[in-house]
Amino acid sequence: MAALGQRVEPVATTDALARARQRAALVPDLLVEARRVVSTVITGWHGRRRRGMGENFWQFRPYVEGEALSRIDWRRSARDDHTYVRDREWEAAHTVWLWTDPSASMLYQSNLGEVSKEWRALVITLALAELLSRSGERIAYPGVIDPFAARNGAERLASALVHSAGVPALPDIANIRRFSDIILVSDFLQPVEEVLELLERLAKHGVRAHLIEITDPAEEVFPYSGRTEFRDPETDERITAGRAELFAQDYRKLYLARRETLAAYCKRLGWSFTVNHTDRPASEALVRVHMNMTADMGYQGGVA
Amino acid sequence: MNALPLAFGAPMVLAGLIALPIIWWLLRMTPPRPQEEVFPPLRILANVLKKEETPSKSPWWMTLLRLALAALVILALAEPVWNPRPVTLAGDQPVAIVLDNGWASAEDWDQKHDTAERLINDAEAAGAPIYVMGTAERTNAEIGPFDATRALERLEALNPRPIPVDRQQAFERLATAITATPGARIAYLNDGVETADDATAFAPLAQSGASSMLWYRPDTANLAGLASVENGADALVVHAIRPTDANQPRSVTVGAFDNKGRRIAETSLAFGPGSSTAEGRIEAPIELRNDFSTIRVDGSRQAAATRLLDDNAKRRRVALISGAEADAATAQPLLSPLYYISRALQPFADLLQPRTADLAISIPELLDQKPSVVVMADIGKLPEAAEQRLADWVSKGGTLIRFAGPRLAGAGDDDTLLPVTLRRGERSLGGTLSWTEPQPLAAFPANGPFAGLPTPQEVSVKRQVLADPSPDLFEKSWANLADGTPLVTGETRDRGRVVLFHIAPDATWSNLPISGTFVEMLRRIVVLSRNLGGTEENGTASVSLPPYLMLAADGSMIPPTPETKPLTVGGGATPEVSYDNPPGFYGSEDALYALNLLGPRSELTPLVQPSLSFPVTATAYAADESIRLRGPLFAAAAILLALDTLLVLWLGGHFRPRRGSRPQGGRKAAAMGAVVLLLLPGGWLLSASPLAGGQAFAQTSSPTPAQSAQSPETSDNTIHDDSRPGDQAMIDAVSVTHLAYIITGDKAVDDISRAGLQGLTQFLIEKTALEPGEPIGLDPARDDLSFYPLIYWPVDPNAAMPSEAAIAKVDAYMQQGGTVLFDTRDEMAAGAGLDGATTPAGQRLRAILDGMNVPPLEPVPSDHVLSKSFYIMPDFPGRFRGSPLWVEASLNSESREDRPVRTGDGVSPILITANDFAGAWAVDQRGAPLLPTVPNDPMQRAYAMRGGVNIMMYMLTGNYKSDQVHVPVLLERLGN
Repeated sequence: MAALGQRVEPVATTDALARARQRAALVPDLLVEARRVVSTVITGWHGRRRRGMGENFWQFRPYVEGEALSRIDWRRSARDDHTYVRDREWEAAHTVWLWTDPSASMLYQSNLGEVSKEWRALVITLALAELLSRSGERIAYPGVIDPFAARNGAERLASALVHSAGVPALPDIANIRRFSDIILVSDFLQPVEEVLELLERLAKHGVRAHLIEITDPAEEVFPYSGRTEFRDPETDERITAGRAELFAQDYRKLYLARRETLAAYCKRLGWSFTVNHTDRPASEALVRVHMNMTADMGYQGGVA
Repeated sequence: MNALPLAFGAPMVLAGLIALPIIWWLLRMTPPRPQEEVFPPLRILANVLKKEETPSKSPWWMTLLRLALAALVILALAEPVWNPRPVTLAGDQPVAIVLDNGWASAEDWDQKHDTAERLINDAEAAGAPIYVMGTAERTNAEIGPFDATRALERLEALNPRPIPVDRQQAFERLATAITATPGARIAYLNDGVETADDATAFAPLAQSGASSMLWYRPDTANLAGLASVENGADALVVHAIRPTDANQPRSVTVGAFDNKGRRIAETSLAFGPGSSTAEGRIEAPIELRNDFSTIRVDGSRQAAATRLLDDNAKRRRVALISGAEADAATAQPLLSPLYYISRALQPFADLLQPRTADLAISIPELLDQKPSVVVMADIGKLPEAAEQRLADWVSKGGTLIRFAGPRLAGAGDDDTLLPVTLRRGERSLGGTLSWTEPQPLAAFPANGPFAGLPTPQEVSVKRQVLADPSPDLFEKSWANLADGTPLVTGETRDRGRVVLFHIAPDATWSNLPISGTFVEMLRRIVVLSRNLGGTEENGTASVSLPPYLMLAADGSMIPPTPETKPLTVGGGATPEVSYDNPPGFYGSEDALYALNLLGPRSELTPLVQPSLSFPVTATAYAADESIRLRGPLFAAAAILLALDTLLVLWLGGHFRPRRGSRPQGGRKAAAMGAVVLLLLPGGWLLSASPLAGGQAFAQTSSPTPAQSAQSPETSDNTIHDDSRPGDQAMIDAVSVTHLAYIITGDKAVDDISRAGLQGLTQFLIEKTALEPGEPIGLDPARDDLSFYPLIYWPVDPNAAMPSEAAIAKVDAYMQQGGTVLFDTRDEMAAGAGLDGATTPAGQRLRAILDGMNVPPLEPVPSDHVLSKSFYIMPDFPGRFRGSPLWVEASLNSESREDRPVRTGDGVSPILITANDFAGAWAVDQRGAPLLPTVPNDPMQRAYAMRGGVNIMMYMLTGNYKSDQVHVPVLLERLGN
């Protein structure tokens, strides 16, 4: 009998050339899928609904002493006795950092999931890049690409990802400025202390983080039984369970406890925490993250 | 060897059993391989699974299973044999193996062969030279000494033969051969049946220096032979014999087969306790019995159980003599007095006809041909010498049947060859001047030969000759009329019979000769008669008959081998079965002589063990009961292996249902596939183990495939298909009426012919009740023409002239009632040409008709039935108009004013036109006309079609249509 889960083709190896080729083959597909996802959610993604720097008309308001005369809208003012200023909607771009877990544990797909975790993470990341670029946001990828604004943000990010090598396991957050957002896409299977420490530093930087946990159903359900040898794809550590089904309940408790810890931390800081299963569509996570980023409504975690 | 009857072929392998504890330890130590799974959240799982798993142990029963498996394999490799066979002849003195390979050995030949093979193997182990000989072999066959390989080859070359053994010759040769090497041991594998020279057969061995003899006694209880077959009056009597020392009651089934091997009758024979003979009757009609070719004991596969029947047992010869004029038989057969008799007798008797009407010559001639029955129809007075010959012949067993008639009725009363005294003159019943009525038959007397025949109700007798009343008249009456007067009387004279039918053999006196009862009565009388003919008794000079079909040792029929020589028959000596003349059919297909193994006085006496100067040890053909256990052990190991695999799969959790339903189906299917794959070799080994078990099984289950393929049981079931190629085409041709045309070879002409007949076919279907099938093209040289009422022949001067055979065939077709419509299609050319000139097509037509019997022709007269058979037709146009349609001239017929149609019998066998009918009829696929008429007139085409219909109706109804024209007048007369 074939194993329930398997390590998928090494999309992330240390071999730079192989990695580049695989990425190159991978990226166009992802872009297509990302564009499709974007067009489904593009409605409702409006401006900032505040006056400020921008190009689009927002409102006319009475001139207040002290304002520059050049801002007076003479055409409107000529219609009656008051003097009006033409306000534009604030369209200052926001910087959103994107990060995908590059660790080997992402290269996993079980029979219960439809795609590997890495695939799903890349899809979500690039889809978000497309989404954000279209709405004029600046996107960046720690250690790969600095903040930039372009209509073809997803393509540029993808090509940057192809050419990047040796991405660290955890994002380098030194360059991240306050008031920017960061979207962390990972399975968060690192020791929970490490993750919490990262989040702590992000909070100190004044960054708002959105966590998207990609999880394979097999990891959550633990459908193993019989004599089973488990192997860690990152460390190659092996554990043999005589009757695996005996441990399912305890394991599930621990696994969910880890998720609860992270979710509780995010909730406390007003961040969002989204879970996406690889047997569910990626757009579910996208929509949820999109909602969380748009509506400034505090914590909007959820499982998708 | 030890307490258990168990021996090992390779006992050293048993040392492998020492390895079992090591295997046990290894099995205990090796856990089953775990299922390997990649699992990213291993750290979390590690928190749960604190303690490291020690390798789990296999369950004890699985260890035991695997140990048993290993032990079975080791045991199997050691080649164990159950009941090992003891060595019979040890020592290196020569071994002489003598086999009886006569007919009595055929049934258990395998047993003898295997015993001899074992003896050879033993002798090979001891290094002794070997003699091998068969007692039914040619006397110059090589007998040894051989080494074991050659001896086995010799043994394979020996086969049972369908002939008796010749022990005298065989042991003389053996004694001569082994004198050179004294101390030889003789193993005599005999068949247990005594032959004539057995008393002296073993004497030569006394001086041969032989040291001992092993006397193998077979079990002859199941031997049975057919000693004789007699064709009785109503049944075939079969006599069977069996060895005289067989005491148990036994019943055998005997089947009768025809010359194609079909089983057509059977009976059963019972040997009583202590009786060595049995008798059975195959009751079957004489016609069926005449078809018997072989009689065979079922389930017996030796030559004596098959009895071959030749013509001697079959048909009777019947001589027919008539007093009527000789030419009456040929000119008016229905009036010939012998006609009904010969028709009645032909199915089951050979008829002899006199060559001259002179009784003084013809009667001795006929009697020389040894008839069983002589039928004399209405002969009143015989020449003196002929009467004497006939009387002698009757007293020797001949059956004389006489019929009354005007001549007998008028003859004097000094005729000795009559069963009763006749009154002169005949009695007439139901005439104009008589009060009496024609008399029906009374029921047949129960003591006569016709007893049991149903009384015919439809038979009446108008005239008869009467017997003078006498005290024994009642006994002599075999059939009576309703008023009690005898119709058939019969009398036994010495070994023969004289029978008189008191009526004439034709239908003038009575309608009995044309009834089925007459056939039945004659058949019974003929069956009662003795068979006086035959090659054996005629004492003529000896003839040499070539072998025709031989009896094989297993009782089946085979073609003669090159060794078979012609059989000399006659010359006073009875032919005997020998090596050169094995039993079988000799002669040609028409006159077969059956040479049988057993005679009517044969006995199967058991062979007595002789007492010789050296010890003779009796032993039985003990079947080799040793069983090789190697195969079954391997099979058991394979089963255990399959079981183990299933258990491993089960322990691995592969048969348990899972929550994730998606991949489960495929996985389960894969597991089941694995199970099936594993069970397959197990089953194969199981089924193969009897084969691996060796000869022990071959002894008990005797029929080997090769033999059973020839055995009668299987050949019975063969279905004989009498169909021949071309049958289907004939059935197709006659099931629907088809229009037909002659293929000239010119495609344009043939296409028009076909399209034309197609158009006519459609027209016929639309307008008339006739629905012909597709037109058929014919090659007169090749095809059978007789299925088609009308054949259209477009005469093409450019086509090849049909061969003479083809023309003869067409001529025969025309003579037998077919009609050919010749169409020269050249009316235009003929009309345009000069007067009297003949067109090429016309010349060709003349050439064709030159080879045929063409009747006188005339153009269709206006009152010919052709012009009125469906439509009223003034003329018969085709594409052209003008050429007359020629038909056979109605001779001797005058046209009369008051008759609308000329009467005449038959249908004209030939029609000739030049109007190109087919061109006018021709239509394409959609039914539109292909060719224009000349001139282009639609009515002319309609007339052409109508002409075709008229011709077709004329073909199919003949002159019936000419009578039809009177129907209105007849109706009118009936109405008034």
